Amino acid sequence: MQRLYKTFLIINILNGSGKDKIYKLVEGGKSLQAFKKMENKLLHILKCLKQNLLENKECHGYDKEEQQIFDLLERTLDCGESNSALLIGPRRCGKTLLVNKVLERIQHKDNFDTDCILVKLNGLIHTDDRLALKSTTSQMQLDNVVDGKVFGTFAENLAFLLECLRTGDKSKSRSVIFILDEFDLFCCHHNQTLLYNLFDVSQSAQAPICILGITCRLDVIELLEKRVKSRFSHRQIFLLPHENQTSNVHTVGDAVNKIEYYLKLPEGNKKLQINTAVAKQWNRNLNNLLKEKKFRNVIQRLIDLDNSEAMLKDFLVKVIFHFTGENLTVDLFQKELNILEEDDMIKVLQDLTVLELCLIISMKHHLEIYDNNPMNFEMIYNRFMKFANANAGIQNFQRAVMLKAFEHIQGLELISMLSNTGSKVQKEYQFFKLLVTPEQILDAVKKSSGLPTEVAQWARSSLT
Amino acid sequence: MMTSDPVIEFLKQSLPCRDSQIDQLYNLIPHKDHLTPPCIYVYGGASTGKTTLVTSMLQQLEIKHAIVNLVECYTSKILFESILNKLSDHKLDPTNPVPYARCDNLIDFISHLQAIEGLDRSVIVLDKAEELRNMEVNLLPGILRIRELTNLKITMILISDIVFEKYYSKSTNIEPLKVYFPQYNKDDLLEILTLDFDYVRKLAEETSVDFDVEFYKNYLNLFLSVFYRACRDLCELRHMSRSNFMKYIQPVVQKQCSVTDSMSLWRNISPILKNSLEVLYLRVDVTSEQMKSAAHSLELPYYAKYLLVAAYLASYNSAKDDKKLFVRNAGRKSRSVRDVKTKSKVSEQLNTQLGPKPFTFDRLLAIFYAILEEKVGFNNNLLAQVSSLVELRLLSTIGDGTSLDGQKYKCNVSFDFVHSIAKTIGFNIRKYLSDFSHL
Repeated sequence: MQRLYKTFLIINILNGSGKDKIYKLVEGGKSLQAFKKMENKLLHILKCLKQNLLENKECHGYDKEEQQIFDLLERTLDCGESNSALLIGPRRCGKTLLVNKVLERIQHKDNFDTDCILVKLNGLIHTDDRLALKSTTSQMQLDNVVDGKVFGTFAENLAFLLECLRTGDKSKSRSVIFILDEFDLFCCHHNQTLLYNLFDVSQSAQAPICILGITCRLDVIELLEKRVKSRFSHRQIFLLPHENQTSNVHTVGDAVNKIEYYLKLPEGNKKLQINTAVAKQWNRNLNNLLKEKKFRNVIQRLIDLDNSEAMLKDFLVKVIFHFTGENLTVDLFQKELNILEEDDMIKVLQDLTVLELCLIISMKHHLEIYDNNPMNFEMIYNRFMKFANANAGIQNFQRAVMLKAFEHIQGLELISMLSNTGSKVQKEYQFFKLLVTPEQILDAVKKSSGLPTEVAQWARSSLT
Repeated sequence: MMTSDPVIEFLKQSLPCRDSQIDQLYNLIPHKDHLTPPCIYVYGGASTGKTTLVTSMLQQLEIKHAIVNLVECYTSKILFESILNKLSDHKLDPTNPVPYARCDNLIDFISHLQAIEGLDRSVIVLDKAEELRNMEVNLLPGILRIRELTNLKITMILISDIVFEKYYSKSTNIEPLKVYFPQYNKDDLLEILTLDFDYVRKLAEETSVDFDVEFYKNYLNLFLSVFYRACRDLCELRHMSRSNFMKYIQPVVQKQCSVTDSMSLWRNISPILKNSLEVLYLRVDVTSEQMKSAAHSLELPYYAKYLLVAAYLASYNSAKDDKKLFVRNAGRKSRSVRDVKTKSKVSEQLNTQLGPKPFTFDRLLAIFYAILEEKVGFNNNLLAQVSSLVELRLLSTIGDGTSLDGQKYKCNVSFDFVHSIAKTIGFNIRKYLSDFSHL
């Protein structure tokens, strides 16, 4: 960084423009130091908070489910029972986190290393059974056995794996725990070979294995083929947001508690390089903020939108990453809420040129008149020309320029081509549908500055 | 954050009008020991400085990074291999280009990433990220969750033109942190284009015309007043303003007027600017030969021209109007377009807006003979000309040619094109079109 700073100075000198700035820097050396000190303090606080938010691996609630899974795995480990179960819950409710927590607990047991093998598969990366098997082989540390042989066909590979699982009877064999994350994606594999074989082994008591699938699909059982379904134990564990569980935030009070949990600085922790006084000051400010009525209104609005904890956490991450200044304020949260409620599409519409916006308005009118029938360039062109001819203030454009503008709109995916028209049609006659709503268009027209008044009026008029 | 980092100062100087984006991005990028979100989505219109800013910030802060463009890496194999090459500093030998590792699926990619040393706090930048949606289904969710899958502190930066909601699918619900790059407004554009001053001075050196920044700003104001409503793309505007400036000072070079005479300069440049608006994005010179109409450069035989006109008429008139238009003395009234027009106005959507309709070969020949004054025998030459028109893509065939009622054709040319063709054979095409009242 020092080096960079020097290059910066040199560049400035070369430009001949930075001289004043250097003098100022030298003069203000003292205040600069104070500033740096303050900045450093802030950096440490932010680092601590980010750590808290991003790398927090704690999982709350679900004690009963946790115990259930733990017992299941423990029985496989200790007694050599074969089991299969599915863990089902909405996205980002902490399924994988919960499983990891259980696994950590079970890995601490003394007999884990000697009696058990853990195989973790993820439907996202193990996209077919061959990859899944390859990964399984390496996770079972059977690579060296495979190494000498030519890695043959899928069937051979599978047979080899099963052979390894089969050897030894129940009491001698090591048990295997399979964790299948994104279980629903495994159901799309050809013939569900992997699932069939795994469930088959678990049913026929050859080697003790435990299969734990994790998925967000409630209808996952329906995805299984009949022969696979009949081999599954039908043990399903649901992680649904109940009233008494803490994964959802029901009142402002809950939310405030969560915020306090995430944003509070630990006092007197030497490792964090934040001294106790600073941490105390921060926490005092935070407490004051949490009590403010205005702040509670903001949070109320937020949990009215979405009351999951994941969402609240995302919100806090955004607040912390956009945090400038010394203390958290209501305005900061309010601003972030406004951003959250903002429509990105309107921003994109505002970025269009006057011509492009005019074309979008033409489309809106066209759809109103023709009751949402598809449109093509030619129709929009004529509608716009009618408007341009009636208003002297509107600059006239060449047809080619308008076609370019039309294609730009298509590139931004504000309109999309209808698939049923073949590629043989000339592009002027290709049919499109509009992907933005009339409300969004009106909103964008209202917000964009420098738009000719005729255009704004035209957008508001209902039928032309 | 108020920051004293010189890199920021430097970036703000080199990229004007992007201060807020620079600050936002700086807070998100893993410099020093900052923790960062797993995924950042940088979006905004074309040429708003997205890639430039991300690239130069990563370079200036000396962060290990790999930047790949999804248009270049159109399959996941190429994508993974080029990311690995860049992150592992693997130099490709031009005589024998062997990648760092062969890798064609996500699982290999992840294990290779884990094998490379010192990847913590590194950044992978995917430019034109919207292409991800057209690749394998598991790629986009996998990329968004790369940190979870690899257990490395890698940050993904996706750069794209479109809003993130277009990425939603069944398996992606992760919202990355977003940084929006708004399009430059008129004042911003003026400020940035003024930076060209040194460049145009050098251009104008030979002409020995002396001018100052104010003069150039005046020119840019005129320029933007014509172009701003049609184009906000900075790169394109810069190209256009540079290429038109020499024409702007042409009268001064020829000593027809002085630098201060802005009125006559404006009178001189305004038609030129209007003309060059036409070639926006095309990167051709207004005066060059290319701009001449294609209809003139294409020298069709005499009968082929008639055939093309007949094909156009067959495509854009409905078959039931044929009798009124082409049969002499049909009924009591002589052929007049007027009543055909009044009738067709009732129908809501005009034929012209729906594009060409298919027609049979028989109808084409019938119209051809109706509009041709002289008598010409039907022979192989005529047939051959139809197929050469198809070959030239002026007509296109529909169906596989096995249907019982013969091949159907469609006319692919625009009105302007066929109008100029008709002029060369002295044929008034407007008289025979029922729907072209507005043209």
